Amino acid sequence: MINLKIDDTILDVKENTTILNAAASVGIHIPTLCYHKDLSPFGGCRICVVEVKDARLPMTACNTPVAPQMRVRTNTPTVIRYRRAILRMLLSNYYDAGYKRVNGKCGIDEDNDLIRLAREYDVDVLAAMAKAPRFPVDADPNPYVLVDRNKCIQCTRCVRACAEIQGRFVWSQSYRGYQARIVAGDDSTMLASRCESCGACVAYCPTGALDNKMSITAGRPDCLVKTTCTYCGVGCQLDLNVKDGKVIRVTSNAEANGRSVNGLHLCVKGRYGYEFIHNPSRHQKPRVREYLLKNEPRPKDRGKFVDVDWETALNIVARKFQQIRDEDSTKIGVLASGHLLNEESYLLNKLARQGLGTNNIDIISNLYFPNSFNELPAMTNSLDDVAANAQAFFIIGSNLTEQHPVFGARIRQNILRRKIKAVVASPDFINIEEYAALSLRHLPGTEEALINGLMNIILEKGWANRYSLQKHADGPETLREITDTYTAIHVAELTGIPIEQLYAAAQILASRHPMAVLCGSGIADPKANRALINLQILLENFGIPGGGVNILRAENNTQGAIDMGCVPNFLTGYQSISDANARSKFEQVWGCRIRSNSGMNAAEMIANARALYVIGEDILNTSLESAAFRKHLENCEFIVLQEMAFSETTRYADVILPGVSFAEKTGTFTNTERRVQMVHQAIEPIGESRPDWQIIADLGTRLGTGWNYTSTTQIMDEVHSLTPIYAGISHERLGHEERLQWPVESESHPGTPILPVRPFIDRKVYSFTREQMG
Amino acid sequence: MKPTRALVLVSNDPVSIECGSVEVFQALQGEIRSHRLQDEIKISTISDVAPRGDLPLVMIYPEGVVYGPIGVDDVHILVEEHLMQGRIVQRLAARMHEPVGDIAWLRARTGVLPVQQRIVLERVGVVDPESLDDYLIHDGYVALGKALFEMTPQQVITEIDKSGLQGRGGAGFPTGRKWEFVRGAQATPKYVICNADESEPGTFKDRMVIEGDPFNIIEAMTIAAYAIGAAEGYIYIRGEYKLGYKRLENAIKQAEERGLLGDNIFGKDFNFHIHLHAGAGAYVCGEETALIESIEGKRGQPRSRPPFPPTYGVWGKPTAVNNVETLANIAPIIHNGGEWYHQFGTEKSRGTKVFTIMGNVNFTGVIEVSLGITLREIIDIYAKGMKKGAKLKLAQTGGSSGSIVPASLQDTPLDFESWRKAGVSLGSGALLICDEHTCVVDLARTILQFFRFECCAKCVPCRTGTHRLYQLMHEISIGKGTPQSIEEIQLLGSDMEFLSNCGLGQTASVAVRDILKHFREEVEEHIRDGVCRAGVCNLTGHPLKVQNEAVVA
Repeated sequence: MINLKIDDTILDVKENTTILNAAASVGIHIPTLCYHKDLSPFGGCRICVVEVKDARLPMTACNTPVAPQMRVRTNTPTVIRYRRAILRMLLSNYYDAGYKRVNGKCGIDEDNDLIRLAREYDVDVLAAMAKAPRFPVDADPNPYVLVDRNKCIQCTRCVRACAEIQGRFVWSQSYRGYQARIVAGDDSTMLASRCESCGACVAYCPTGALDNKMSITAGRPDCLVKTTCTYCGVGCQLDLNVKDGKVIRVTSNAEANGRSVNGLHLCVKGRYGYEFIHNPSRHQKPRVREYLLKNEPRPKDRGKFVDVDWETALNIVARKFQQIRDEDSTKIGVLASGHLLNEESYLLNKLARQGLGTNNIDIISNLYFPNSFNELPAMTNSLDDVAANAQAFFIIGSNLTEQHPVFGARIRQNILRRKIKAVVASPDFINIEEYAALSLRHLPGTEEALINGLMNIILEKGWANRYSLQKHADGPETLREITDTYTAIHVAELTGIPIEQLYAAAQILASRHPMAVLCGSGIADPKANRALINLQILLENFGIPGGGVNILRAENNTQGAIDMGCVPNFLTGYQSISDANARSKFEQVWGCRIRSNSGMNAAEMIANARALYVIGEDILNTSLESAAFRKHLENCEFIVLQEMAFSETTRYADVILPGVSFAEKTGTFTNTERRVQMVHQAIEPIGESRPDWQIIADLGTRLGTGWNYTSTTQIMDEVHSLTPIYAGISHERLGHEERLQWPVESESHPGTPILPVRPFIDRKVYSFTREQMG
Repeated sequence: MKPTRALVLVSNDPVSIECGSVEVFQALQGEIRSHRLQDEIKISTISDVAPRGDLPLVMIYPEGVVYGPIGVDDVHILVEEHLMQGRIVQRLAARMHEPVGDIAWLRARTGVLPVQQRIVLERVGVVDPESLDDYLIHDGYVALGKALFEMTPQQVITEIDKSGLQGRGGAGFPTGRKWEFVRGAQATPKYVICNADESEPGTFKDRMVIEGDPFNIIEAMTIAAYAIGAAEGYIYIRGEYKLGYKRLENAIKQAEERGLLGDNIFGKDFNFHIHLHAGAGAYVCGEETALIESIEGKRGQPRSRPPFPPTYGVWGKPTAVNNVETLANIAPIIHNGGEWYHQFGTEKSRGTKVFTIMGNVNFTGVIEVSLGITLREIIDIYAKGMKKGAKLKLAQTGGSSGSIVPASLQDTPLDFESWRKAGVSLGSGALLICDEHTCVVDLARTILQFFRFECCAKCVPCRTGTHRLYQLMHEISIGKGTPQSIEEIQLLGSDMEFLSNCGLGQTASVAVRDILKHFREEVEEHIRDGVCRAGVCNLTGHPLKVQNEAVVA
């Protein structure tokens, strides 16, 4: 500990603490501009200068470490004179063309750190500001980022954000002296410099020199609503900027920093892909085909749509479902989506099994990723744990930086900063390969052979820990049997990977511990998934920080939908449909009988069902087999489609129920690392559209279930009473920003960042509660 | 290793090459070989001759005779007469009015010029810079041998400390203490860096050493590595020093071949490797932390200090960064002992200093003299007086970042201590001597233009300050200055001095500050009367137009 005095406070701080942080720890505020706590210190803006006794010159607080017996003054008249001088120097190179809309009219951008600081230090902004621009105002053709170098103070926060967060190195400071400026690449355009338009540079810019182009004239928001992003399984926290009942832009959530998955980081989709919320082509009213209103038989092309009120639409749907249910309930199918809230997924599960009396419920993404949850129900470790603690990565079947950009960028950073070796297996070039120690180019569909081949090499070379293998019930012999036929030569032939690369890959993976497997929707073969589990057992990478098999869910709530039982063979929380105890628990609460045999999966439903209830996804754009599906849908007797806007599937629908976007409802999403997070309503539903849970609940009531749901909080309470792994999860706890990763066994349980794993070779290895662990 | 009987040097500065020195060199080589003298006579080139006529020159040691101009036809006479018979060919001797550079020193030995005190430049011009053999004959590697076999690393540092050697890069930090810090730092590995990015305008001392005596630097770095416990070192050489780069490259290669560098040096359990890194032409990369950033492959911008390089240097590890001239002192000190060094210089500033003399004087070039000499001595004795008998007006010491010294200070001894007291920095040892025909406003403007261009743009005071200062000074020089200009210059200059991140910004305003201190009247004349008394500034914006003719007040 180091003892020092700042102003009149004597304090002890740890070694290597900066003056800035030491001062902050006792509540002394020192102004900063180029400093940001997420980024490495720079010390260029000099605004944080303080006086240190016996030092020749004033020192910058942001990057000067404390020294014993230091005497620091942060607020003397000299310091204030210096800060004012610096602000005037900064402003002498700052020119605001006034294009930014403030209070309804164009004017000087007051919403930035520099101007706020100038006001605080009583510097006349307009007098000190440069009198003419030196650069063009909108200097870059990037569609999302507005570049105005006239407002740039060269704090290099964008340079550091791009390098240290996104890992793309687009920005740099170039030229010398007064000519120096921030440039993209070799002073070309951002996109030509391989920019991914994540907007991190915008989020960290303190002056608005980099700004959100799409909403530059939209003005200031009335309020910020913190919510969870709706794009991928990472589950980033973001702020919806709401003005006059509209979402005008998306910004990083500053407060969630440190506790959230992403901090200030977002990707291009999350930050700039919000326009769909107010897309004019959204369904405003329920629609039914004319024949249904006239009680006529269905014409071949189903006729034309007619706008109706909710009452009419829901009654038609309920009547039709009732009729088919009563004839043969195994012929009704419910196709759920990975975009719905957990609460909605649960209601859908309940609607299928209680209201429609069928186990035919599945998520549509299982069309391309069939039943992966049987082998890999969830990511074993956490995103931050894997990124920070793994000593090697094996990335297979996942285009990490495209599918999960924020996590992908974090992996890039760790490869760069911690010098981690990554082995990437992909049939085609993907971006993360640029950072990999070794990339394997296997033929599509040969993942199982590849992984078994790697195990064969590891066993052959004796790189696995023999002693620990003996502990496993099945022993090393089982593994040897499984991988026996996959000799290196054979695998090289099968996969098309040169044999020496196979040996090199096996060595990298076996010699570094812990090693984390990162896989995604590109590895659809269940056998390959099992092989990955075997590999990690062989290398002892289960149940430890930085290891595990980490399956990255494609959609934002695929994980939650499966957790909530939107699959044919599980009730909520992986309670098997064939388990009589589990069934009776649900039967008691739901007041109905549940069939014990597994229902149809998504593909079977599309092929066989007479009636389909499709929610929140476009079947025909989800699967490669859409030609066959098209035929089946054409023949399907009755299709209810609950969606936001017209899609390819709409033409086969008989009834359209207008659902809403994530901005219009409150509930929870579960991200790929099993973390449950809140979604908050930011705006009222567009037109007559309704939150999906309300639609499902209304439908349920009409199907005679006796439901009476008034909020998603109430639904979540029901979920946790029935689901051991969600037992401790409630909206109230999530509202307190608690980090809850299931299993959360009770109200006081802190969640489980790393899953305990039962080591069984070539079988399901997961268990979710201590009881199941035995 | 065979002793060499004679060394032949051919001048290879651009003018000499123009006059055919390459052909002469080749002819000499051929002639020497045809007489089977190649084993006893070394031939090399020398670049530091001022272009003063009689080029190309051929110098033959040990007699120290300078011939010129020499054509290809003269070569066989030189070889047959001088090299074989030992007879000096008087009719081919150069008729030089003012011997300069290396030649000046050569003549000094024969009593024509006052004797310099050479430690740093002792071998420059005497040894063949491309031959390790020649270096070894001239006591090369004696010091490293002594250090490795007779001294512990701690003793090496103590010896350097005892000598009182101060860094010659400008700041004058005691070298022994710096090494002690690095040696005492916890982290490993440690590094030695030789700062050869000599970019201070008008300074060529390091170039002389590198081009004339490269092995000396290699040896000194190896001693430093032994003392602080480093296994790797870098030489960061200014990009423009192509010949120096080549010579160092060659020196490293030869030393490695002989086991004097690399693994198991002198057969002992001591490894040291040197990487050569050429700069890309940035003034600021002479600043040690910017230099380190540049070595790491980043944009050359100075880091914030603390932490200082002895604890956090290249790759974040403890690093000793030493100037070429400092390193050139190491081997002699180890060889002769720290006490020996005390005979040179003053009590507070030990040793010699290499000065580069420029400006309105009769002799310009590099000299090495004991610290404590006065400016008057340098001008009157070594520089042979002011040109055309003009009057000394001012001198700028230490390059662009250095101070402006008025004529009244010319009797202050040139040593770290006295000059620090007078508020003057000795800096890199450049001495720009100006007579009455120099306008201080024009001088200040030129200096500021340099800084405006060389600023690295990292910190705000320097980036905007150098530009603004230049703007203001430029306005004065074209007759658009106002009385407020001077005030603004002074205020801005002092803000820059206190708020800038590195030495560049902190010293960019020093020259202007000194000019306003000593020559304020002259600057005010520009503004008030529209008069440039030196007749340099074109004050066309003003009714009182003065051009060409000097107006002496």
